Amino acid sequence: MVSDAFPAEASAPEPVIPEQAPALQLVRLLKRFGQKAAVDDLSLTVPSGSFYGLVGPNGAGKTTTLSMATGLLRPDLGSAFVHGVDVWQQPVRAKAMIGNLSDGVRLFDRLTGEQLVVYTGMMFGLPREEVVARTADLLQLMDLTASAGTPVADYSAGMTKKIALACALVHAPRLLVLDEPFESVDPVSAANIEDVLRSYTRSGGTVIVSSHSMDLVQRMCDHVAIISAGRVVTAGTVDEVRAGESLQDRFLQLVGGRHHSEGPQWLRQS
Amino acid sequence: MVATVLRLRYRILGNVLMRNPWQLVGFVLGALWAAGMLVLVVPLLFLLGGTGLEITRSVIVIAGGVLTLGWVVAPILIGGIDTSVDAGRLAPFPFTTTQIMVAVTAVGLLGVGGIATLLGGLATFAAWVRWPVAAAAAVVCVPLGVLVCVVASRLVAAFAGRGGGRRLGEVLGMVFLGALVLTGPIIIGILNLLGGTQDLGARVTAIAEVASWTPIAAAWAVPGDLASGHPLAALAKLGIVLVTLAALWFVWHRTLAAAAVAPVRSAARAVRAGSLGWFGRVPTGATGATLARALMYWLHDPRYLRNLAMAPLLPVAFAFAGGGIEGGPFLFSAVISAAILSLVPYGDVSYDGTAFAGVLATGIRGRSDRAGRMLAAAIVGVPLITGIAVVTAGIAGRWDALPAVLGAALGVLLIGHGLCAVTSAVLIFPVPESGDNMFKRVPGSQVLSGFAFFGLLLATVILALPGLVTAIVALVRPDPALGWVALAIGLVVGAAVFVGGVFVGGHVFDRNAPVLMQRIRSLKGV
Repeated sequence: MVSDAFPAEASAPEPVIPEQAPALQLVRLLKRFGQKAAVDDLSLTVPSGSFYGLVGPNGAGKTTTLSMATGLLRPDLGSAFVHGVDVWQQPVRAKAMIGNLSDGVRLFDRLTGEQLVVYTGMMFGLPREEVVARTADLLQLMDLTASAGTPVADYSAGMTKKIALACALVHAPRLLVLDEPFESVDPVSAANIEDVLRSYTRSGGTVIVSSHSMDLVQRMCDHVAIISAGRVVTAGTVDEVRAGESLQDRFLQLVGGRHHSEGPQWLRQS
Repeated sequence: MVATVLRLRYRILGNVLMRNPWQLVGFVLGALWAAGMLVLVVPLLFLLGGTGLEITRSVIVIAGGVLTLGWVVAPILIGGIDTSVDAGRLAPFPFTTTQIMVAVTAVGLLGVGGIATLLGGLATFAAWVRWPVAAAAAVVCVPLGVLVCVVASRLVAAFAGRGGGRRLGEVLGMVFLGALVLTGPIIIGILNLLGGTQDLGARVTAIAEVASWTPIAAAWAVPGDLASGHPLAALAKLGIVLVTLAALWFVWHRTLAAAAVAPVRSAARAVRAGSLGWFGRVPTGATGATLARALMYWLHDPRYLRNLAMAPLLPVAFAFAGGGIEGGPFLFSAVISAAILSLVPYGDVSYDGTAFAGVLATGIRGRSDRAGRMLAAAIVGVPLITGIAVVTAGIAGRWDALPAVLGAALGVLLIGHGLCAVTSAVLIFPVPESGDNMFKRVPGSQVLSGFAFFGLLLATVILALPGLVTAIVALVRPDPALGWVALAIGLVVGAAVFVGGVFVGGHVFDRNAPVLMQRIRSLKGV
């Protein structure tokens, strides 16, 4: 179904690691907005071929971190390497390896879904026949074939998310950075996408997802980092981090801030 | 309830301005300008009163009519209505439609524009002070006149922005724009028509007499009619005002009520799958992809289209205002059109909004981005300007002038695009988002972008001087051979500045692109 869009699926379970450098290495990233440090001296290593979850409360700095890692936001200090290439010294080389799904940004939504994916593929210099074939695969994968000719402006939130994901995949990147990829995506599409991402990591690709869904991260990811107040609280394999408990419970313990109350009196209906 | 909404509106305005110092500067300059105009207007009106009742009446009627028209259509030209508090945003609260309308009207009245209009209206007392009965009537009629302005503008916004659906709104916007551009010429045309033998004063009086019976100016005519002893006419005009207000209110109510039960979901104008548009025609690669994307926006996005629509209307305006089709201005109008069109993309990245993240993420080289954007502008602009030059030359019967005009116009166009390739790698200013209500105004944005625009216009003219001077000499002499020289100069200088701009702008973009993204995000409050 998606024959051309991705590196051939490896039959062997062993990840194919073409070089020793990690897929993504963040070194002491710092970003201030005014007085507040959104990302505060953050270091993180994402091994090649891993399915890496990034979790944290709202405002923890996940999106800011991913923006700096993908060359969208210049860090005040620190550096980011994608497969050993410095994102801020050689942005063109680094970005060619990254597929990026940003959260909270618009798309060029006057284009149709199909045009948007073709456009993105062409931006990376893929031959047109190749782009057209990949676009057809991706639209089928995302269940968007019927809406291919509809302007993205008229898509629902979930469809918009899916078409953005298709754009991130079209140039077959070595590293996928997905900020909240499953938000408002229907369960059927989410399951399909999950399968594809899994086979992608088995074939040597690396995925980083940020998410608020602990269940999803625990199920899908092999590594996880918990971020709070711009710092890494803990990072490692999912089993190391959750230490025998559910990721949800572990997250609440580490991040804190859980209230135990029945809510204010006036909100109760009886 | 109204007080709460008003407080909310000022809080939003305050927050926006505090977050963006440049917008604050723009806002303050705009407010100062309005204050300055008022200070100027009061003594002028007082002096006007001294010229006699007849002239005072006419001038105030015409000024009132222009004011009303301005409220209805001018926002389209300078960029819209403040929609930080509008009916759609108030819809989730438990207000009736009428309450929402009262609140939105109050917000309009007490915005900067509303306050300025109200004060300007009150300034007519300075003119009426010699006729107590008129001054007394003005106490009622000035607020009514201002109310007509505000309600009419809100109705237009509601109709275009929400009630009619997105695409209908965009179409309506374009129609209004066309009407606006042609208003001036039409008025001048009517003046000429009425004119002939009469002097200017008589013609103005005649126009005022007609206008005073229309909804746009009736409110401003009542005091003068009373003062000159026409109580019946005054009463009839007051009736016109009240009926107008009632009709506007009724239609607005219906529009809002309809929008509330059938929220805007534009009927998708889907194209056939596999229809790639411009993406099927350009070569692959970052430049081609950017070119195709930019072309789709130039040809489909009202934010670009309204600039394209202006270009062919300018010669029409010149034909009316500049002494007909024999005049020099008409023959040269392609050059003016080119100057305005050439600078449309001077802050092009602003129009991308946060979608610019997608551009940045591809690691596109600045040169490719610049080339794609400016080639798209030129692919739209060159045929349009050439067409205008050919048609105006044909109508004027001056085919001999065509090479000179074409050289000057295309030179200006390409030079402007070359400059835009550099400035759009630096400038970000607040613009309505794609698909947004195109009447939306971003507070404090016009003044600064206006300064930048005129600076850039000056630079374009200076760079284009060799071609322009040659063309003008060729036209004045007239010297057809020199016209061909002007064409060559225009094309060569234009192409050189265009290519140079793409390279310099590309270099700037390579360094500056992440900063552009950050500025876009901070403007959107993301």
